[in-house]
Amino acid sequence: MRGIIEIKMTYSTSFIWLLLIVPAAAGLACLVLPSPKAALRTMLVGILAAAAAGCAVVATAARDGRLFAASGWLFVDGLSAFHLAVMLIVVSLSTGYAWIYFGEELRSGRLALKQARQFSGLWCGTMSAMSLVLVSNNLGIMWVGIEATTLLTAFLICVHVTRESLEAMWKYILICSVGVAFAFMGTLLAAASAQGVGIEPSEILLWTNLRSHALSLNPMLVKASFIFLLVGYGTKAGLAPMHNWLPDAHSQAPAPVSALFSGFMLSAALYCVMRFVPIAEAATGDAGWALNLLAGFGLLSIGVAASFILFQKNVKRFLAYSSMEHLGIIALGIGLGGFGTFAALFHTLNHSLGKTVSFFSAGRLGQMSGSHEMARLSGSVKRSPLWGLGLFSGILALIGAAPFALFMSEFQVLKAAMDRGSVWMTVLYLTGLAVVFIGALGHAISLAWGKPETELDPVKANGLERLLVLVPLCALLLLGLWMPGSLHALLNDAAEIVGSAVTKAPDAGRP
Amino acid sequence: MHDWIELGMIALVLADVSLLGLSLLSTCIRVVAFQGILLGLFAVAAQFRALSPRLFAIAAVSVVLKGLIYPWLLRRAVKEAGVQREIEPFIGYIPSILAGIAMLGVSIWIGGRLPLMKGQDLPLVVPAALMTMMTGLFLIVARKKALNQCLGYLVFENGIYAFGVAAVGEIPALVELGILLDAFVAVLVMGVAMYHINREFDHLDADRLSSLKG
Amino acid sequence: MAAASWIQFALALALSPLLFGLISRTKAFFAGRKGQPLFQLYYDLIRLIRKGAVYSLTTTWIFRAGPVIGLASAAAALTLLPFGGNKALFAFPGDLILFATLFGVARFFTVLAALDTGSSFEGMGASRDVLFSALSEPALILGLTAAARESGSLSLSGVLSGVSHFQPEIALVAAALLVVFLCENSRIPFDDPNTHLELTMIHEVMVLDHGGPDLACILYGSALKLWGLGSLIVGLVVPFRAGGPWINTAIGIAGIAALAITVGVIESVMARLRLVRLPQLLAAAGALSALALILAMR
Repeated sequence: MRGIIEIKMTYSTSFIWLLLIVPAAAGLACLVLPSPKAALRTMLVGILAAAAAGCAVVATAARDGRLFAASGWLFVDGLSAFHLAVMLIVVSLSTGYAWIYFGEELRSGRLALKQARQFSGLWCGTMSAMSLVLVSNNLGIMWVGIEATTLLTAFLICVHVTRESLEAMWKYILICSVGVAFAFMGTLLAAASAQGVGIEPSEILLWTNLRSHALSLNPMLVKASFIFLLVGYGTKAGLAPMHNWLPDAHSQAPAPVSALFSGFMLSAALYCVMRFVPIAEAATGDAGWALNLLAGFGLLSIGVAASFILFQKNVKRFLAYSSMEHLGIIALGIGLGGFGTFAALFHTLNHSLGKTVSFFSAGRLGQMSGSHEMARLSGSVKRSPLWGLGLFSGILALIGAAPFALFMSEFQVLKAAMDRGSVWMTVLYLTGLAVVFIGALGHAISLAWGKPETELDPVKANGLERLLVLVPLCALLLLGLWMPGSLHALLNDAAEIVGSAVTKAPDAGRP
Repeated sequence: MHDWIELGMIALVLADVSLLGLSLLSTCIRVVAFQGILLGLFAVAAQFRALSPRLFAIAAVSVVLKGLIYPWLLRRAVKEAGVQREIEPFIGYIPSILAGIAMLGVSIWIGGRLPLMKGQDLPLVVPAALMTMMTGLFLIVARKKALNQCLGYLVFENGIYAFGVAAVGEIPALVELGILLDAFVAVLVMGVAMYHINREFDHLDADRLSSLKG
Repeated sequence: MAAASWIQFALALALSPLLFGLISRTKAFFAGRKGQPLFQLYYDLIRLIRKGAVYSLTTTWIFRAGPVIGLASAAAALTLLPFGGNKALFAFPGDLILFATLFGVARFFTVLAALDTGSSFEGMGASRDVLFSALSEPALILGLTAAARESGSLSLSGVLSGVSHFQPEIALVAAALLVVFLCENSRIPFDDPNTHLELTMIHEVMVLDHGGPDLACILYGSALKLWGLGSLIVGLVVPFRAGGPWINTAIGIAGIAALAITVGVIESVMARLRLVRLPQLLAAAGALSALALILAMR
């Protein structure tokens, strides 16, 4: 009996390793392949293979609860399994989309061999780094993963070197590097807060250890640590007021990259904050100190994003601000605690689906007309019914129109706010949502059915393209109406980890 | 040994102040390299009771990276861009120095309040680390040239490194190497970015990178 | 003990012109020249005193009072300054402020006398001089405060006998005071005492219209100032633990001579800095003093 369990353990742990190594190896291979087509194909195969391994990891973790590897340095629990699932969906979709997007660029001769190698290599590397963030138990390694995503994606922004993309990249790399360095400072402070509580020095950064000793950590250092972490990872997550890089990077990056940024990279940074929330809450006596801070940043982000969305002229910038709004909603949901945590996690999944499809459509439409200015893109349904409608329904989903799932999760966050009885939070939240709703709906209608600037021939879409638009949209519709039991269980599990400070006492750290 | 560490910390603070007051890029690079070497020595000195090969190896890697490789990369960037000094920073050199003094005061105040390094008679380490971090941030904000901002990032990293050595002491080697590697790649990426910016724009003024707004 | 203080004061008055000779001999040595005699300033002073003075009709009594007051306040400052580990002639809490103020008074009257001539060159020199002193005085005061804090005494005699010389704070103060010393005494890199171009002069241009005994007062006054600030630095850096007051005095004289030679070396290896860079250097000195103060307050 024992033997069987051990074999199972090694199987699933080897899947974790595969998830990390396969994309990295594929990325390295991409850098030396002789033709752009081959590089893109290797990328596709590598990512899909890693995604399959990832699915196995998620399934095992969802069944067994916790999964350890590498003597406790790698681990997957409900929270990381859920985020891993979101990541796999986003990355697989975006990779398929990148295949189409860059295939088109190859046909029109805009993608040289060097750029194809650079893109596919870095893309695979990014997947590896994001997986590392999600599966590492060691908070230092988690930080290394986040910083690695920053560095790897920097050159993804300027696959095509233009003045604007260079500017966006410089802002991105500088602001995010500094921000993430803040997060490292926070990590150090967290380690310092655990000095002398009886954790082995070499294991002081393991999340499971910090979590199980959370009650005996030094509260003052934990507070300092959480502030640094929130500012640091918040920068990467695009929370206001550290969001300045976000619209620039999203608008200048190629559409697949923007989709990955919005769809998962921001959530990955917020995931890191979520890891620290229960520690900070438990160490500061469950007084809601960390939660309030998070909710404040969330509300501020919603407000800032709402006020900027109204005046956007570029569709990708508009979508970028919308990402900021949604990350704000997630932060607010976590900050509300209780039911809000569940809602926020559900919202993470929904936002990733909705944002991916919107960026896909915006990118393809932009590719067809050579610009992302909304004025140039108006009336896009005529030009390409698939992508035009995809963009319209994507935006509709993102602003929380029923019956898409985002409506559900936003409503759940609202309910959590009302449950807490905080009137001003509820009012601010609703105001932000309403402003975004009105502003974005105006943009969306003119984008879809406005008067086209120039009449162009309609463009046909192939099967894969249809799949890429329809799958996320249908999933959003479905989730809005019915939630599968396994997802509900996984979400509950994840929410319990983030909010366990509120609901139950910490349990033992290692298996 | 304590006196030596304190002296080193004063040297670190002096290096910060001089970075705030210096305009010649090549001198600034030299000062940052000096800081890096100082911190490598500090990492060894801070654990002088329990020296281990691991400690020496990591200190050596950090000294080589911060004292030799970064300066070399940056000097190349300086040469390529053909910029000697920054003429008009957002915040002038004398106000910068005054701000540095204020930052030292604040860091000593914060350092005294944080319950770190209790039981060790090294009152200056945490303030000096905080001061170095603030100096780095200040340089990023107050200077216009991309190169200076990159230098500011390095100074910031140096401060965090000093803080880590002081506050945590023993981080697993793997983590530490990962961090050093990340910082190295960051400098490399910034270097390549500066190369492209310089080629595309013919200048390295980050304040003139302002076409994306709103 | 009082006798020792008197003798030291007399030594300061007698030996201070020698410092200029030492500096110029050092410079001459570096330039490969033989150089002027060590006692040149004594000869100059004697020669100037014998001469009469010519006064412009536009000047008032201020012009005549300037050099005298300058010399008097420099001499007064010396009475407050302990030398070679002994007590000063006068010592009371707060005398370090008076020490700094007396140099300020000397400068004030030199500037007034320069303005009194109505010459545009002298006015320019005066404005530069005031700018630099405005920046160097904070460095001096902050540095003295740091040293006072470190030694726990508010009197110069207490400060110099109370500081522990190997503290990093004291090294910072000494470095800052060295910059102040060079600035206050109009040495390179702030001012070139040998320049003959009015546009570039700072201190020298202010005294262009003085002659005879007045000029002698000014020269002697600046020698005393050099001695005063110099022995302050020496007192901070050199530990006088040797024993008897006479050995200490000898060590002090050796120290101040070494300082003069250092100045000569600095002047030989450095050029004058551009005017716009000078405030930065002084601000840096102020920063050093402030750092020392913050460290001492800790």
